[in-house]
Amino acid sequence: MLTEGQVVINERFGDEEQGLWRLVLKGPIAKTAQPGQFVAIQVQDSSISSFDPLLRRPISLAEISPDRDEITLLYRVAGRGTEILARARCGEQLSLMGPLGQGFSLPEEGELWLIAGGIGIFPLYALAQSVLARGLTVRLFWGGENQSFLASAGLFLWQALGIPLQLSTLDGSLGQKGLVTEQVQERLLQLFGQTKQEQPLSGGQISVATCGPAKMMQAVTKLGIEFQVPVEVSLEERMGCAVGACLGCVCTLIDEAGTLIHKKVCLDGPVFRGEEVVWDVSC
Amino acid sequence: MCPVDLTTHMAGITLRNPVLTCSGTYGFGEEYAAYCPVEALGGITLKGLTPEPRLGNAVPRLAETSAGLLNAVGLENPGLEEFLKSYLPKVRKLPTAVIANISGFSLEDYVQMARALQRDSGLVALEVNISCPNVKHGGMHFGTDPKSAEEVIAAVRAETDLPIIAKLSPNVTDIVGMARAVQRGGADALSLINTLLGMRIDIDHQRPVLANTFGGLSGPAIRPVAVRMVWQVSQAVDLPIIGMGGITTWQDAVEFLLAGATAVSIGTGNFINPQAPLEILQGIQDYCNKRGMVSVRELVGLAHNA
Repeated sequence: MLTEGQVVINERFGDEEQGLWRLVLKGPIAKTAQPGQFVAIQVQDSSISSFDPLLRRPISLAEISPDRDEITLLYRVAGRGTEILARARCGEQLSLMGPLGQGFSLPEEGELWLIAGGIGIFPLYALAQSVLARGLTVRLFWGGENQSFLASAGLFLWQALGIPLQLSTLDGSLGQKGLVTEQVQERLLQLFGQTKQEQPLSGGQISVATCGPAKMMQAVTKLGIEFQVPVEVSLEERMGCAVGACLGCVCTLIDEAGTLIHKKVCLDGPVFRGEEVVWDVSC
Repeated sequence: MCPVDLTTHMAGITLRNPVLTCSGTYGFGEEYAAYCPVEALGGITLKGLTPEPRLGNAVPRLAETSAGLLNAVGLENPGLEEFLKSYLPKVRKLPTAVIANISGFSLEDYVQMARALQRDSGLVALEVNISCPNVKHGGMHFGTDPKSAEEVIAAVRAETDLPIIAKLSPNVTDIVGMARAVQRGGADALSLINTLLGMRIDIDHQRPVLANTFGGLSGPAIRPVAVRMVWQVSQAVDLPIIGMGGITTWQDAVEFLLAGATAVSIGTGNFINPQAPLEILQGIQDYCNKRGMVSVRELVGLAHNA
């Protein structure tokens, strides 16, 4: 739907050097939105209309609070559009399309592993809240550049959830030094033994939702296939219309017959089953 | 206030009103259903078709520019056969005028599609895209050489009983010459304009932003070019024109009508405001009302009299 969201909070989130912001909007989208969905928000100084930037910005939902009619968007200021968004003041009405796309599927049982790289953490928070409310177990694996980034990007929120956190930083300033996927692999090996054993491996009741750089999600998908753990990935692509009309944001999947097909990240995604995504494509 | 007569006549077609949507920005007519009822529109133009299915270009396919958008989708489409089987049955039931859009790489491609798309397909017209900038050896060759343009339109003319709308490329030095050529070929109307060829470079990675290097520029940035071309062609060629290129507000649409367009079409504007066609239609009505015009047809080409 096309609707408006009233700015309740729009403030810096964490250290200034990280350039992260938190925007809370009041409006009807919270009533129907699901974790993994997004909104296409008009980034315009509402006092004077302008066509620069021209397009809406797709931003994932970091928190969905239907009881308060609020959604939370966490975003990084990375250009003219998000710079203008960061100037939106309390009480201002922002034009929104949403909730858009297909979100994460919510597991019925077992343990959900959330695997995030960088600001890919944001949509996973709404998912964690939703899944924890259903009484399931959640574990987070999260990798970032350094301690300052993780602290700025909402680590305290995750700590408050009281779930196991396995953190990685590239410089080792917090958690394990290295890539988040290394920790995921170690945990899988601990639980299910070496991958070269005779008997087929079984990931038991674990399922995975991941969001972050494509290379990371590709590696997570590979682990998922190896250990027979279902993986859902949240893809990102430059979007035009956000409703599946312009074909700007396609991704390549492989269907059951082995044929390469295109799907629209905005309409058919952004969440897809990891094993159907073709990561290295030139068409 | 009296209701303004919005009925628009063009190429033997009667449209409910002069506001259409552009090919490639409106999918196959269902994508915007939650935002803009198609029955409110004068008509829609479907995504461009080719005989064979196409996956199109690699991503990134989009790059934003100041007041504009570069796209290089590369004619991704399900192909003619799949369109006839899976899309047309739904499309023909849409409560609005539906225009199909065809593209090709050879004369035979256009002929094959024109043969398959007739009045009894439930379409009101065939828009012939001889101006796609985003595929190698693609339609644009036909759109920049008057002789080829005339040939392709004549070939389509010979195969279909549908009215033919030739969609022209602005990437030419003489737009009037192109318009005359397609008129000789038998076109019933013109769509003006397709996108302008452009590119952007990512200065961090020092390479083109688009996977296809070049893309077609649309959006408000190109509107003055489009208005100028509508003006020139409407003065010189006696064919109805669907004006398009950067229309986002009713004021933009009125400009095109005053320049000589019989109808207008909204493309990139839908991405900014999915209800833009409705607001534009209302704005055109109000504009006519304020000036005591009983029909939107009175606006067409009015600025030429000044």
